[in-house]
Amino acid sequence: MKTFVNANARDFKEAATLARQAARDGKSAAFSGGGSDLLGLIKEGIAAPDVVVNLRSVRNAQRVQDASGGLTIGGLTTLDDLSRDGAVRQRFAVLAEAAETVATPQIRNVATVAGNVCQRPWCWYYRNGFPCFKAGGRTCFSPTGENQFHAIFGGGPSYIVHPSDLAPAFVALDATFRIAGPSGERTLPAADFFVLPRENAARENVLANDEVLTAVQVPAIARDTRTTYNKIMDREAWTHAVVSAAVVLQMDQGVCRAARIVLGGVAPIPWRLPQVERLLAGQRITAELAARAGEVAVEGAMPLPKNRYKVPLVQSLVKRTVLDLATRT
Amino acid sequence: MSEQTGTPLSALATVGHATPRIDALERVTGRATYTADVVLPGMLFARALRSPHPHARIRRIDTARAEALPGVRAVITHENGAVWWGAGSIAGGGQYNDELKQITKQRRYTFNNPVRFVGEPVAAVAAVNRHVAEEALRLITVDYEVLPFVIDPEEALEPSAVKIWPEGNLALNTRNEAQPNAVRRGSLDEGFGAADEVFENRFTTAFVHNAQMEPRASVAHWEGDKLTVYTPTGGISNCRHDIARDLGIADENVRVVCQYMGGNFGNKNQNQDADLIAATLARKAGAPVRLELSRKEDWLGMHGRWHTIQRYKVGVKKDGTITAIQSRAISGMGGYRKNSGGVSGLELYECPNVESTTYPVYTNRTSSGNNRGPSDPQGFFGIESMMDEIAHKLKMDPVEFALKNMRKPSAQLQYTNYSLDECIRRGAELFDWKRRWRPTPGSDVGPVKRGAGMSFMAFRAGLGRSSAMLRIDARRRYTLFVGVTDVGGGAKTTMGMIAAEELGVPLSQVDVVSGDTDRCPYSVGESGSRTTIMTGYAVVEAARDLKRQIAEHGIPAGNDVLTASATPNPNSGGKVRSCFGAHFVEAEVDTELGAVRITKYVAVHESGRIMNPLTARDQIRGAALQGIGQALREDLLYDRRNGQPLNAGYYGARHMTHLGAADIEVTFIEVDDGFGPYGAKTIGESGIILGPAAVANAVSNAIGRRITDIPIARDRIMGALA
Repeated sequence: MKTFVNANARDFKEAATLARQAARDGKSAAFSGGGSDLLGLIKEGIAAPDVVVNLRSVRNAQRVQDASGGLTIGGLTTLDDLSRDGAVRQRFAVLAEAAETVATPQIRNVATVAGNVCQRPWCWYYRNGFPCFKAGGRTCFSPTGENQFHAIFGGGPSYIVHPSDLAPAFVALDATFRIAGPSGERTLPAADFFVLPRENAARENVLANDEVLTAVQVPAIARDTRTTYNKIMDREAWTHAVVSAAVVLQMDQGVCRAARIVLGGVAPIPWRLPQVERLLAGQRITAELAARAGEVAVEGAMPLPKNRYKVPLVQSLVKRTVLDLATRT
Repeated sequence: MSEQTGTPLSALATVGHATPRIDALERVTGRATYTADVVLPGMLFARALRSPHPHARIRRIDTARAEALPGVRAVITHENGAVWWGAGSIAGGGQYNDELKQITKQRRYTFNNPVRFVGEPVAAVAAVNRHVAEEALRLITVDYEVLPFVIDPEEALEPSAVKIWPEGNLALNTRNEAQPNAVRRGSLDEGFGAADEVFENRFTTAFVHNAQMEPRASVAHWEGDKLTVYTPTGGISNCRHDIARDLGIADENVRVVCQYMGGNFGNKNQNQDADLIAATLARKAGAPVRLELSRKEDWLGMHGRWHTIQRYKVGVKKDGTITAIQSRAISGMGGYRKNSGGVSGLELYECPNVESTTYPVYTNRTSSGNNRGPSDPQGFFGIESMMDEIAHKLKMDPVEFALKNMRKPSAQLQYTNYSLDECIRRGAELFDWKRRWRPTPGSDVGPVKRGAGMSFMAFRAGLGRSSAMLRIDARRRYTLFVGVTDVGGGAKTTMGMIAAEELGVPLSQVDVVSGDTDRCPYSVGESGSRTTIMTGYAVVEAARDLKRQIAEHGIPAGNDVLTASATPNPNSGGKVRSCFGAHFVEAEVDTELGAVRITKYVAVHESGRIMNPLTARDQIRGAALQGIGQALREDLLYDRRNGQPLNAGYYGARHMTHLGAADIEVTFIEVDDGFGPYGAKTIGESGIILGPAAVANAVSNAIGRRITDIPIARDRIMGALA
């Protein structure tokens, strides 16, 4: 493990300024919320920051607040707190369900909302120190290697899948991300936060080196809206999604008024399915329609040699999740 | 009852009663001192630098900058600190001993040049703390000449493959010949000629790490010429002898201590390179040294179960009688040969014409070695899948097929007792086999399908030499000295219970001293699941001797003590002594998600008398769960283009957690065959043998497709159904 300097930030602006200062001094910096991802990366030698900007010293950023029917979720809210929050459980089940599938209780006790969204890929090439795009290199090892868990949508030149469970839920809820930099704050729709490798293969999102995700605003949703997160895992805990689906349905007596469906584990970003959303809107959700939704969900999939199974898997996942949620009483 | 079935049990006072471990409180409250908790005055902390290449020659290694770092006390490499590690590569892969070390030509040292797998030690540093040691590793420069490598054992046998050893990639036998292991009896021509049908198939099994919770650590401390090594080992006596032999010093100058151990599963038998590296650093630095391995180092640097490719050809008559079996297996041993690479299971079947050939092959992968039932689960998966398939093709019930063809006692093959048929029948009944097994595989309607599979086994339970000492003082306290370590099976507790039983006193009156070669006599160690039988019997004999002394001299008074010892070397009079078992599994497969759930698991075992029902049951449960993990999940994947391992560790290898643990229903058939301590037999390893085969057969029965490669992971299920 490389030695680093710890710098406590009092607020997000100071955090961003500390990162910018480090850069000016020719040093690399990294932000640490719970540290559950960053410290692992440092110990494995995958990340080697000179300065770790500690965000745990930032106050008032670790709670969920009601905001005119919606929510403002502090970036430092732990996943455990998020999943136990009454308002979240009651009105935004997709978030609570996503949060409680993450890793282990120990990790959820320290890992933060912002950290979950900004965690680096869990591609085994990246995590084993290969000089891939994500590590600043100029190649992706997965297309001709072991690509069982890699992307079937949006891949190239890197084929990672975005590892966050919260990210698909936030996109499905049309959330807004608040970002702090040294010279102020900006906001972005969650969907615009994530970037495909063809735009920037080294990064998973739009954050500059001295920018930090500070909060997520979730807008109010219509009263007859139901939401869920369905995550397929290769074991019962402590693993990322093989594939997952965040589904938001506005229902009116068995008829779907509007739908948002976002997949995890299939693409380098949370992968929204607008064609499925259009298919469902205004329709009574029957077993036949749900099956059709599954078929439409995988149109255009480009599997790699070892992840072809993800295509029928996504098809079944979408079919079942939509039908279960729509017919839930 | 006849000799073949054993006799029913007589009730005992302590043995046979569910008894919590005598050190349970220390373990669960964190007071137990494991090896990585040992702190000695002036102790240094050590870390190893490991090869990033699957195969490379070291041209030059520069440690000057590391040595110059303040706080660094010793740096060793293949140039100045290599020790010939005898147990690290063994000709023939047989039971390791003095003679085999001398025969072995393909030798492993603590540091080798060339290096033959990713994760092989290249250098080690001892420093005042672990951070300095790790910083020093970063300052070591190694100039590698990267060599071609081979990852696949079938490719390694091709003439064009790079030679990992000068003699080629087929590991040498005890005569240092590159020959496969072959067993032949009868005539294959006759056997296949007599068959009505001949079936062939190919099966593969993956490398699975032992995955014991406690990663490797070793603390070495020299006082003059005397070396003390604190190390997690299942066999302190053998470990001491191995360390002494490798360092060229007398056994009495080595003390091995292991008071608590966080799991073994065959990963911690004998001595390991970490012990020798710590000892070398400690001698060089003139201070005690603790070397610790990270989880990833442990995964790659130690060993796991050998992966295999197995081909079978079996001839059968229409009535299901097997007339011939031909098998050809390849076992991937990694860069060094720590064990046989054997593939067992054929011995279960009564068949006059058999030819079995096994090729233990070197590759540039992590070493293969002992793992709970070293050659068993992978071999049983192959042969039992094959037989299940044949039974289905012949439209026979696999249980009937097994009962018809399994090896039974005969005039030439006598057992101390035999209960395999009873295990199978009892298991089928408890499991409700007739109802759960699908005569037409895959016939359930709908996407979620169930099916049933079974497998059966016999595992050696031979007797042998071991020692025990026992003392009584004037306060009527008994102290038992046994050279065992509790690797998880509860050996300390079992030894105490046996002493209490034979002495006729409560267990609370017996203190057990164990895990220290300076204080305890020889024990065989926890390999082959032998401790209860061998050391346990020595405890019985020592207690009998002490009782005789007490009868003669009375209870000692004042500061007097009476001591007794025993070193029995019993045998079973030319008869085979085995434990037996049968596992029955129901699997539910969600064919749309490629997911498998174990919905029923019945394990019936005959392990003689059960000493402690509490720990015995959990041995079977834990082993069965490991078997399920091997069947459905675990693997160590390599990128074939660059020879790099990709998923070392619990996360990547998808090891089962408690949330995924199936309910394992354990039934013991208890009999006394008149041998061993009160008729006890082996347990620990036997429970893992059957899981992979029974689970795979259940999945095939559910989905109607035979998946011939384990782990039966989601991609394979969905691929088979696509």
